[in-house]
Amino acid sequence: MKKVLVVDDSISVARQLEKILTDSGEFQVVGHGKNGMEAIRLHQTEHPDIICMDMNMPGMDGLTALRTLVALDKNVKVVMVTSLGGVGDKFTEALRLGARTVISKPFEGDNVLKILREL
Amino acid sequence: MAVKFFGQFLVEKGVVSREILLQAIELQESVNLSFGATAMAMGLLAEGDIEKVHDAQRTEDLRFGDMAVKLGLLTGEQMMQVLARQKNTHLYIGEALVKVGGLSADKLPALLDEFKADQAQYATDKVAIPAGVTDAPFWEMLADLSYKMLTRVALLTFRPEPIATARSLPAMEVYAAMEFSGDVSGRYLLGVSAATQKQIAREILKEANVDGEPKEVLDDTVMEFVNVVLGNVAAKAAQMGKAIEIAPPELVEAAGEIEAPAGRSALRFPVCLADGDRVELAVFIEE
Repeated sequence: MKKVLVVDDSISVARQLEKILTDSGEFQVVGHGKNGMEAIRLHQTEHPDIICMDMNMPGMDGLTALRTLVALDKNVKVVMVTSLGGVGDKFTEALRLGARTVISKPFEGDNVLKILREL
Repeated sequence: MAVKFFGQFLVEKGVVSREILLQAIELQESVNLSFGATAMAMGLLAEGDIEKVHDAQRTEDLRFGDMAVKLGLLTGEQMMQVLARQKNTHLYIGEALVKVGGLSADKLPALLDEFKADQAQYATDKVAIPAGVTDAPFWEMLADLSYKMLTRVALLTFRPEPIATARSLPAMEVYAAMEFSGDVSGRYLLGVSAATQKQIAREILKEANVDGEPKEVLDDTVMEFVNVVLGNVAAKAAQMGKAIEIAPPELVEAAGEIEAPAGRSALRFPVCLADGDRVELAVFIEE
């Protein structure tokens, strides 16, 4: 079972993602970070296979954290899950920084699972 | 389900890879020059002129071409020539993907049709913004997208009330807000009753019953709804050529009416729900 770290300042989004992933029986959520700093810390301690991370968070935002995570581990698999996915510049910046892809909010569970299975 | 751009749509469908999309975007960036770079390539402006325009833009909010005309660096006719050159040489992402070999030209029209059908649900419908309000097309889009998200994300049935400016917002049980800035700036507010908050929570959490949820979780779902609306507004704004940045959503602690802060007024676009309940939608805009 693949281990997933969820990083989002919204507890409701984290819960929604955890439900989708856990119910699939294919993924196990190993942690929930609320900002970029926590993403970096939990990546070091939980060693997730995949990180699902928001962009717009208080404190360290998702793109700043992504830059650090890729510098620490060039093979890190980060999927940005964000309401800003449809903003072309943000989408492109995330891919350039090393995100595997970007999922827009509102998202559909089937689409999230399809994307994560392909990583 | 969200506002997307064509490249993102193709990556999500698995039609092109992220690597190919990045190659196509790089090609676009090398071809689609800014107004100033195009004017320089046409021999109409020198590098020093570009700096003069940028300096002037720091104190006056004018587009590059309009500022160049105002400073006497270009004639109106030359500005139109530059705009025509930009339009005629513009490389769209679909064409760029074909050029980098990521997509075959014969598949492009069908994919574009599929994309347009997917995004038709977010085409902006006509919304009447009061006369005299600047950036009316942006507010029209923001109000319309708010209505669409109330329908599609919160599954609410409602009738929009007339849009009007005001000094304050009525008291509601829960208000969430989000600041945004950039080419257009303001503070977006969503006010709901406890009953509507539960409906939003049911849809955000995908739970049939949220009666036992703590207040913190219920409040968070309203903030997340605001985050989804404004993120998609930012995507639509980008399609309109306007860049905005959004701050994280926040909960507004207010016992009664919320007054517009000094220098701002409220543009209200509330809705009346089918059961008679009301949702307060508003944005504090610069006066």
